[in-house]
Amino acid sequence: MQGSRAAQFELYKLYAKAMYNVALRILNYEEEAEDVLQEAFLDAFTRIVDFRQETTFGLWLKQIVINKSINYLRKRKMEFVSTDELSEVPDEDSFDDSEVRLQADEIRTAITELPDGYRVVLSLYLLEGYDHEEIAHILKISENTSRTQYMRAKKKLKSILEQKGMRDE
Amino acid sequence: MNNRLETFVKENRKAFDVMEPSAGLWAKIEQELDNKKKKKPVKLYLWMSAAAAIAVVFGLAWLYVGKLQNKDLEIADVSASYAKKEVHFAGLITEKRDSLAIFAAANPELYKKFTADLKKLDEDYERLKAELPTSPNQTFVVKAMVKNREIQLQLLKQQLLIINQVDDYKRVNQI
Repeated sequence: MQGSRAAQFELYKLYAKAMYNVALRILNYEEEAEDVLQEAFLDAFTRIVDFRQETTFGLWLKQIVINKSINYLRKRKMEFVSTDELSEVPDEDSFDDSEVRLQADEIRTAITELPDGYRVVLSLYLLEGYDHEEIAHILKISENTSRTQYMRAKKKLKSILEQKGMRDE
Repeated sequence: MNNRLETFVKENRKAFDVMEPSAGLWAKIEQELDNKKKKKPVKLYLWMSAAAAIAVVFGLAWLYVGKLQNKDLEIADVSASYAKKEVHFAGLITEKRDSLAIFAAANPELYKKFTADLKKLDEDYERLKAELPTSPNQTFVVKAMVKNREIQLQLLKQQLLIINQVDDYKRVNQI
């Protein structure tokens, strides 16, 4: 077991940054994201015997990170869906971003300005690459809610980006 | 469908993972890992001794119960069909003995004689039962035990018949 410390550090170096960003996008707080990261790595290292090779270590770790982050959010009494928000469904084409200058940094900052529910669904779908079925499973919401939340989040993101663009000019 | 945002993010995915965790985080994780390692052997040792203790207790209990059962081997352990017969006979025997006891007050001498005969058969039965666990031919012993019960039952029937007749005779004479 002693020799595995070096291997653990290698894994940490390989995944820490990406996982930190995953947690940070969900939580929006650096301190909480670091707590999650620490717990996730400890969990992963102590439960490594449970890790079956069906998936990659990175995906497995990411799952742990996301679950822990969601739990932290829930502790903050965050609701992933409020019923009054579900009344109208925006159409897919509403995100007409042809005039919005797409810059990674700007999008990244704009995402942090989204409300919790929007931000989580949007980052899980757009950045972590989960589909709505998986997001529904992770957040324990319906697939349709996930889809709706994503549309709204995208619309909101666009308006934030537009405002910023105007301010810049 | 407008998927410009999705496409852009996909193409520039790396540009979104720019934040860095603080440099001291690994040291924290390492420290926790060390703490866990120190705790683990103690815990494992405790668990193992607990498991061993439980195993010993169960082992002893098993041996004890096993011995008890050997000492008190029942007919049912040898043959289920014989056990059924035995239970059937035993039930009838108790019934007849109760009937016999009713005549006891009127015919004390006869009753004494009868119970002495029965007692002898009972003793035989107990002897057979004691032999059963150590016997090389248990089926044979069981057969003998059931036969003993059957004889007891036959005897009781005879006794009841006699005592009934004696009772009738006495009553007729009284009149």
